[in-house]
Amino acid sequence: MENIINIQNLTKDYGLGRGLFGVNLSVREGEVFGLVGINGAGKTTMIRHLMGFLHPTRGKCSIMGEDCWRNAEELKTFVGYVPGEIAFPDVKSGIDFFKLQAEYMGMNGISRAVDLAERFNLDATARLKRMSKGMKQKSAIVNAFMSDSDILLLDEATTGLDPLMQKVFTDLVREEKHRGKTVFMSSHMFDELESVCDRVAFLKEGHIIDIIELSKIRGDERVKEYKIEFVNDGDYLAFLGKPFNVKQRQEEYKQVTITIPDDDINELFRVLSAFEVKYITQKPQTLETYFLEKYNNTEVSQ
Amino acid sequence: MNGTLMKQTIKNNISLWAILTIVQAFFIGAMVMGGKTPVSMTAMSYYALLPGLISAVYVIVTGNKLIAAQVDKGTMAYVLSTPIRRTKVALTQAAYFVGSLFAMFAIAGCTHIIAHRLGAGGISGDEVKAILLINAGLFMLNFALSGICYLASSVFNLSKYAIAVGGGIVGAMHLMSLMAKFNSSFDWLKSFSVVTLFDIDSILAFSNQQVLSMTGHAADAPDGAAFIWKFCILAAVGAVTYVAGSTLFAKRDLPL
Repeated sequence: MENIINIQNLTKDYGLGRGLFGVNLSVREGEVFGLVGINGAGKTTMIRHLMGFLHPTRGKCSIMGEDCWRNAEELKTFVGYVPGEIAFPDVKSGIDFFKLQAEYMGMNGISRAVDLAERFNLDATARLKRMSKGMKQKSAIVNAFMSDSDILLLDEATTGLDPLMQKVFTDLVREEKHRGKTVFMSSHMFDELESVCDRVAFLKEGHIIDIIELSKIRGDERVKEYKIEFVNDGDYLAFLGKPFNVKQRQEEYKQVTITIPDDDINELFRVLSAFEVKYITQKPQTLETYFLEKYNNTEVSQ
Repeated sequence: MNGTLMKQTIKNNISLWAILTIVQAFFIGAMVMGGKTPVSMTAMSYYALLPGLISAVYVIVTGNKLIAAQVDKGTMAYVLSTPIRRTKVALTQAAYFVGSLFAMFAIAGCTHIIAHRLGAGGISGDEVKAILLINAGLFMLNFALSGICYLASSVFNLSKYAIAVGGGIVGAMHLMSLMAKFNSSFDWLKSFSVVTLFDIDSILAFSNQQVLSMTGHAADAPDGAAFIWKFCILAAVGAVTYVAGSTLFAKRDLPL
């Protein structure tokens, strides 16, 4: 598949180590690409560059081969955007807002917006000023998707949505992906990215510290992690004497966490059968555990 | 220019414009109809002070609302996430600003002419000329001052800075002109303020009207053509600030 978004050596230096530094990444057409990092890592700065709101200090970014800064307005025909901060124009209701945006976009009608609003259980006739945080967020999402753009840039689009609506949102993103859309989304909610993204980039202090294929994390890893609690100290200590790869031990609870390849799983059961086990549980590797490990182990070179 | 944006801009700014325009029309109408005040008198007791201050409020508030406030709040993100060039956004806002000021003084001037005709039972060609030129002068002055606020609005991300700088300059210029007007020892302040380029005396002399001095003593015979080059300077200040504001807005980083 062709790369539709290209970021090359993008640097935006705000001083004091803030900004983006030498970011390289590309997003393939039809891909759902996630961007994760703590507040201030540079997620919003990156998306603002793609929108042509910010001018790079060095490097460049392009969408469909067009420079994001120079050809910003031409690109907007193909891009839907949810900004990180939601502040609506001075119009009365959600419907008025969609109509206004549709007029700017040169769209005929807002039937898709009405459908989307229904899907998100959003009463778009409500006054924008009275809307709750969640309703405003839904309105922003509807606005981004209503023009049926090929590319969607979503900056923490689900902030303020309840879990049910987050599910509606992730379903929508997945559906759009199947319709061939490319989605570039930032989030600090791992489970959201985990459920929809093909790849996720980790951003720390303006640097990309890793880009991971989600399929590598989604449960088909060959080495798994198990946590075991024993009933008595004797068994706990005896188990520690066995040749397993112990990752963590919590003596006060008589708990031990080991990692073991699938091939050796029967050896584990053979050993355990001699002991009195309180419980055993597999700890699935999630994007979150992966990220936290990576985050803490990576020092960003200044 | 973008029609949709223009409609939206008019909607968001028309109420303040309407109130201030009505206040001005009401003042001049009441003064001329009620007191049968001659043009030369309105020039001294009304035009020299009130319209400048009223329009300064409009210029400062609207200047900020047109760009800086929208960047500050983030609402500009929605305009710029559609295929509209930034330059077009800037020019649409500028066109509204200049157009609304023009309409404000066109209405004020027409009200004055009509009121004078009705109140004094007639109006001479010179009087019409004086009224139109005075209002044209107010427009030129506000073209320059609005340009300064527009420039401030275009370069700052935060409303408070746009108002502090744009409003600060406009306020200071009016203040300096007032101080120079009321106390001749502050005459040197005149050269720092574009407000003094709105030369009512020269306009009155040009239209063969009596020139009354503010401080009571007989006014020096004013130069009847001086207002013309002063208009040109005001036009130049306005043109430069509007062009600079639009250009800078199109080129700068926006936190949207």
